[in-house]
Amino acid sequence: MLTIVGELLLLAVGAGFIGAISGLGGGVFIVPGLTVLGHIPIHVAIGASLISVVATSAGASAAFVRDGWTNLRVAMALEVATVSGAVIGASLAGVLQARMLELLFAAMMLVSAYFAASKHGEQLVLATSDPLAQRLQLSGVFPNGEGRLIPYGVRNLPGGAAIMVVAGLMSGMLGIGAGALKVVAMDSVMGLPLKVSSATSNFMIGVTAGAGALVFLSRGDVSVVIAAPVALGVTAGALVGSRVLMHANVQALRMVFVAIMLLIAVEMGWRAISGI
Amino acid sequence: MQDEDRVLRVWTPIILRASVLTSAVLLILGLVAMALVTPGSYVARVHELQTRGRAAVRQTWGTLAAEALKGQPHAILMVGLLVLTLVPLGRVGFTFFLFLKERDLAFTLLTATVLFLLVVGVMLGRVG
Repeated sequence: MLTIVGELLLLAVGAGFIGAISGLGGGVFIVPGLTVLGHIPIHVAIGASLISVVATSAGASAAFVRDGWTNLRVAMALEVATVSGAVIGASLAGVLQARMLELLFAAMMLVSAYFAASKHGEQLVLATSDPLAQRLQLSGVFPNGEGRLIPYGVRNLPGGAAIMVVAGLMSGMLGIGAGALKVVAMDSVMGLPLKVSSATSNFMIGVTAGAGALVFLSRGDVSVVIAAPVALGVTAGALVGSRVLMHANVQALRMVFVAIMLLIAVEMGWRAISGI
Repeated sequence: MQDEDRVLRVWTPIILRASVLTSAVLLILGLVAMALVTPGSYVARVHELQTRGRAAVRQTWGTLAAEALKGQPHAILMVGLLVLTLVPLGRVGFTFFLFLKERDLAFTLLTATVLFLLVVGVMLGRVG
């Protein structure tokens, strides 16, 4: 037992660590890790991954909420979209064959690798919100590090919500946080400052993955013997990873992450096609 | 809005951290209990999963509750996982009542919709 728990913990700590320093989240690495290395059925791997994503989000988002980076009202307005997507995605995952899920995972990895390889510019802070965002009081303030609070506006809630449905769908179906897509929705489409988008995305990931996990739990696709060490390991790995991230320049490692993602995409794609 | 925002910023991190800590304790406790009380059952379950596939884990809430009442170690693990999953979702319930108290109609409806979708998710999982 100790050997298997040790191996699962090691795999999960590694996935959580790389997930945190790459900004992609542990789910992206734990699902292929469990299926390819652990020979665990992909449905069970996704169920375990979703629970570990909830744990990572809860641990990481607490400090951002306390320090005022998370826009709670934007998060709650968009959670309707992400949770709808997650419930549909997790339900679809239940009826899809393992090979189809592996193929979708490979495709998601390729798209993620493309976005990780391309650089993003900083957006300007919006001065005012559009009428809908004003009515819902979505604008906020963020600390600038010198004791001042900088106000920012919000725009295009429906556009952001549409992308959030897709993010939720991917999360529930493939067992990932889909944080990168959530950040794109808030940063590029809704005009939120990048760090506010990251903090708010982190907060929303917990509820999105939790909704997906609930479907997997009630369907009976969660194995406690796999999910328990995975949740513990990914959380610990993400904790260490986020500490390292604060003190190290990991931008130089970006292409290494891209290479790992391409490798995973090829491996998962090959499994799906060859039926191994 | 200022008042509810302050309440949320104080209580949300407490709820989230408490859920992670409680579940971590339960998961460690469950794994240790499994090794001591039912040696061999952990390895057997993993091997069954690897050979029989996802059908090996299919378990109803009823059998799980019965096993939990008997004090089965793997039921402790399930309680740990449920704490982890349900507490962040319970946070949505907490905000629903907060918005209701503040008479913020739009956000009361939004959080109620999220709660409704979660119930739909459980029902879809049960039939799927």
